[in-house]
Amino acid sequence: MSDTAANVDDHGSHSLNTATGIDNKKLLMWLFLGSDCMFFGTLISTHLIYRKLYPVVEMPPTKIFDIELTTFSSFILLLSSFFMALAVSAIHKGQLKSYRTWNLAVILGGLVFLGGQVYEFQHFVHAYDFTIWSGTMGSTFYLLTGTHGCHVAIGVLILISQHIASYRGRLNTSNAMDVEIAGLYWHFVDIVWIIIFTAVYLVEYL
Amino acid sequence: MSDDSHALKPEKSLLGLMRPDHSRGWVDWLTTVDHKKIGIMYGLAGLFFFIVGGIEVMLIRIQLAQPELNFISAQAYNQLFTMHGTTMIFLGAMPLIAAFFNFMVPLQIGARDVAFPRLNAFSLWVFMAGALVLNISWLFQLFYLFGWFDPIGGKDIVPSVGWFGYAPITTTEFSGIGSDFWVFGLQILGIASIAASLNFIVTILNMRAPGLTMMRLPVFTWMALVTSFLIIFAFPALTIALLELMFDRLFETNFFRVEQGGQPILWQHLFWVFGHPEVYILILPAMGIISEILPAFSRKPLFGYPIIVFSGAVIGFLGFAVWSHHMFTTGLGNIATAAFSLLTMAIAVPTGVKIFNWVGTIWGGRIKFTVPMIYAVGFIWMFMMGGFSGIMHSAAPADAQQQDTYFVVAHFHYVIIGGIVMALFGGLYYWLPKITGKMWEGKLGYWAVGFVVVGLNLTFGPMHWLGLLGMPRRTHTYLEETGFGTLNLWVTIGAFILAFGLLMVFIDMIILLRKKKTAGKDPWDARTLEWTTDSPPKVYNFHATPVIRSRDAYWYHKHGTPEQKMGWEDEGKGIHMPSQSWFPLLIGIGMAVMGTALSLHSGGVPFMGYIGIAGIVIVALGSYLWVFEGPGGYHIHPDEETSDDNS
Amino acid sequence: MNRILKGMGKFLGLIGILLLAGCDYQSRQSTFDPKGPVALRQLELFNLTVWVCTFIFIFVGGALAYAVWKYRERKSDDPDFKPKQSHGNPLVEIGLIVASILLLVVIAIPTLDAIWYTHDTPDDEASKLGAWYQGELSEGAETEVLEVVVYGLQWWWEFQYPQLGITTANELIIPVGKVVHVELRSRDVLHSFWLPKIAGKVDTIPGRANSMWIQADEEGHYYGQCAEYCGESHAYMLFRADALSNEDFHKWVEHQKTPPKAPDGGDDWGAWISSVNANPDSVKGDDVLEGASLFYSKTCVVCHAIQGAGIAGIGGPDLTHVASRKTLAAGWLDNRKETNDESGDAEIDPEIQLENLTRWIYESENIKPGNRMYIGSVGVQNGLNTLKGTPNEITEEEARKIAIFLQNLK
Repeated sequence: MSDTAANVDDHGSHSLNTATGIDNKKLLMWLFLGSDCMFFGTLISTHLIYRKLYPVVEMPPTKIFDIELTTFSSFILLLSSFFMALAVSAIHKGQLKSYRTWNLAVILGGLVFLGGQVYEFQHFVHAYDFTIWSGTMGSTFYLLTGTHGCHVAIGVLILISQHIASYRGRLNTSNAMDVEIAGLYWHFVDIVWIIIFTAVYLVEYL
Repeated sequence: MSDDSHALKPEKSLLGLMRPDHSRGWVDWLTTVDHKKIGIMYGLAGLFFFIVGGIEVMLIRIQLAQPELNFISAQAYNQLFTMHGTTMIFLGAMPLIAAFFNFMVPLQIGARDVAFPRLNAFSLWVFMAGALVLNISWLFQLFYLFGWFDPIGGKDIVPSVGWFGYAPITTTEFSGIGSDFWVFGLQILGIASIAASLNFIVTILNMRAPGLTMMRLPVFTWMALVTSFLIIFAFPALTIALLELMFDRLFETNFFRVEQGGQPILWQHLFWVFGHPEVYILILPAMGIISEILPAFSRKPLFGYPIIVFSGAVIGFLGFAVWSHHMFTTGLGNIATAAFSLLTMAIAVPTGVKIFNWVGTIWGGRIKFTVPMIYAVGFIWMFMMGGFSGIMHSAAPADAQQQDTYFVVAHFHYVIIGGIVMALFGGLYYWLPKITGKMWEGKLGYWAVGFVVVGLNLTFGPMHWLGLLGMPRRTHTYLEETGFGTLNLWVTIGAFILAFGLLMVFIDMIILLRKKKTAGKDPWDARTLEWTTDSPPKVYNFHATPVIRSRDAYWYHKHGTPEQKMGWEDEGKGIHMPSQSWFPLLIGIGMAVMGTALSLHSGGVPFMGYIGIAGIVIVALGSYLWVFEGPGGYHIHPDEETSDDNS
Repeated sequence: MNRILKGMGKFLGLIGILLLAGCDYQSRQSTFDPKGPVALRQLELFNLTVWVCTFIFIFVGGALAYAVWKYRERKSDDPDFKPKQSHGNPLVEIGLIVASILLLVVIAIPTLDAIWYTHDTPDDEASKLGAWYQGELSEGAETEVLEVVVYGLQWWWEFQYPQLGITTANELIIPVGKVVHVELRSRDVLHSFWLPKIAGKVDTIPGRANSMWIQADEEGHYYGQCAEYCGESHAYMLFRADALSNEDFHKWVEHQKTPPKAPDGGDDWGAWISSVNANPDSVKGDDVLEGASLFYSKTCVVCHAIQGAGIAGIGGPDLTHVASRKTLAAGWLDNRKETNDESGDAEIDPEIQLENLTRWIYESENIKPGNRMYIGSVGVQNGLNTLKGTPNEITEEEARKIAIFLQNLK
């Protein structure tokens, strides 16, 4: 195990010595997020195009949406972004305990958001019969929010993995970059949610 | 010292597995993270599928040689042209380009590997999985012919929807499980392309040798960078479109199903938002190769280097703004038609600039007519022809007559064969001595390029006429009264000449491989860094890190002033090499299982849903093991030609 | 194979002629022979682009050829000679960029003009129905030009004239010299409506109405074809257009509006049907009558319509005046002797027509693979293939009788 850690160290110091000065992995994440923007961009435009094309739907979204609940879970997700920043700063300072606390808070935030989404979905289906087959609106709504949900779930998995790694002594200041990169991803997922929340939920109340 | 002390100890991996470092034979190839081996595998796959796609199109040409023939059935014809397009673009041209990126980019920037070697292996194996999923449909079509297999959706087992699969023909109502193979195959190929591109961008931006500033990069590497950016921004549109289509097919959602309000036109927009940049994804690397070959054999720097680089970037950028010129006949409305018409014309400017600069590169040089140089000069001619018909298409009202006819087929084949294939084969002739360490001899290469150029003009020249005389593309046959027969026969004969020329190229390559290693480091007296390495390059590429002091560094190193000479940096700590891994291959296998099983699932084959889920589990497991395995690594000391474990 | 060999001989003979006279090479779908204002404008624009490209080609290609020749390495040259390592010339670059932009402007302006011209239906007083059409019209149609709604379907065309109350298939009839507005729709997949001599193509897209305008300047028979890949028999989806003189067009409309005679020669289909119901044997011995009753009993009526006969099937072509059409199977089978006629004068040959109809009913799969009449439409209607082996199977003899009946639907 110590061998591997040494390797990671070694590799880490190599990669900081890059032509641009940006860590390889961090650059990779930034580029991936750029690409991911196009994924969400395509999904959001599909949703908005169909929404504009068919403004009148059988089940008006304002009737279905539980805007208070969604606002609350959005707020929790945003709050988790703040905790994420604290966790990154803690790991940079080498404060492992503090990192674990904040990281746990982020994980909890993500789980609350996911729980909210699962509740929301099943509520839509059971109470309003609003499913993925309910016209184009149903299809685009579930695919878009579902894809975002998958992103959050993957984020939570990454954070949990890092949390476990921190107990096994595989996380310290030298690979704080890994936490920072996870943080980048998490912030991105939050920002995308703000856009989705606006484009899918809030515009319906205009 | 006994031999034992030099023996390499494989590193332990997870689950008690050994990392397959220092293995030999096929295990080494399956688990390699060496960019050169991965490049070679991409190249071999590309050439293989190039032949497959070629055979497909020769069947098509025989069918069209005369009116009202029934050499192959209408359905088989549709499957052949669909697979010809899909194969040539995604499985022929793109892996060949990826092969050059993989092999040459790290060498050209003075790096020892790409930034993420295992991610590179992942891209390769996922690409192989996608290729397998697409082409395994032929096997099931065969089973269907023998009567062993009868899925829901009937005989439509090989994709038959055209390479751009316009909705709603791809929905379950109008096509069988061929569309599923197509959706999953392309989806998997997309993952491979995006992963590879992310890797290349990081490599090019971050792993340049000291002194190799962006404006000193070889143009091929620049074009690799632009292309990679195009891929990471263009492929998501296709991925989402395919995801929506997949949901329509598997779960009966309503994205493209018309009776539920789906809009087929949306597919076209999403597809071409990807599809037009894809055209530049193919042509920009070709332009990059040409920009390497021309200076090397004109013995003169590229004319207007900054403008060539800048115009490449502009082409890439504008490439995202012209997608609707594929849709001029879909009723876009006047304003949109006008806008896309003008933007399309605008893109001709940076393209023209490149051609001017290539002519300028030759001008005043001392041209050595080697085989790669003939390909390069041929490229300029043929690409110019393709460009002209492109300008003709940009005039939207004229395009209304040309769209979906053989005129369009002629146009994009001039660009693809006259442009991309000529450049790729020129690149093969240019770089194979570096890759294999063996040098070309004899005249076969000259004969081959002659047949290719004559064949391609005989094939695609008359197609312009056919289109303007009113022959639509993708037609199984045509009535005798139309008068298309003579020209079509001409085209078919041309196609055979072209195929013969290409066959000669393959024979020439086989002859080359059977030779002794004679190439030496720099057989062409070339200009860029890759020629400073051994042929073939050692596993670590450079014994020490090169320090660059000018553009065309190696040329000035050889022929320039003393202060232009390259330096070498060696910390003396040995070279850190990444460890090999089984997990990229495992993920590839998972993807192939998933794609095939889910396609069969939609044909109603029992248990395939579960096997598909098993495939997904393999992918997830492989990813997790990969992450926790870590990059690993060991050190090599090139001076002693030995290496040891990093312990 | 024989065909290929014969063609090879033809090819070798023609290769020289073609090289010399490539430009004169014509076909009945040629875009070089425009017969309407839209196609003419499109051809003019195309020619302009060709001229501009030829100019660039001579200029750039000339420079390239000169450079390749002038700067080639000769045998006598020193192999180690190093030319001057020059890096470029900004003035030349900028000059060439400006020149190419100017050349593109030459194309761009006529392009913009033509985009509006070819798309927007002109407001032509003389073409308005009120100005020239004498028959009965739907309300408010006097101030409109003639409207045709085109449905592209797998793999045939439906043409509806909403102002005139006519529906026909695969043969579009238009008045010569008049602006016609065309609305393009589809009920299945994408198709593209293309009459090369009249106008460039516009796609028919399900769930969406596209539009274009056409005008034929000369009377005649025009050949068209589906230009967007639409499935198995895309290649077999042809159509025809007849541009008729004002007088002939009126005659045609009148004829279309008159229901065909009942199989027994009378005007009342209902009476004939009840007489057959009362006495099924009365049809025996008469091919027309037998064919007609087969048409009912073999479920043809589910998909096909015959006006006046109370048959209103949907899904297949309207057969009300099927015998008056010059072609069958969306243009693939020609009922005329003179199959390449462009004047519009060639007459239907009844023998060829009967043979075509019989073949089409009996072995449509061999003529147009995958067609709906043969394979049916899943869950809606059986096709002829599913009828095989059942009492409803159509024998060749029965197919001929149905064909004889259909030949009466003039």
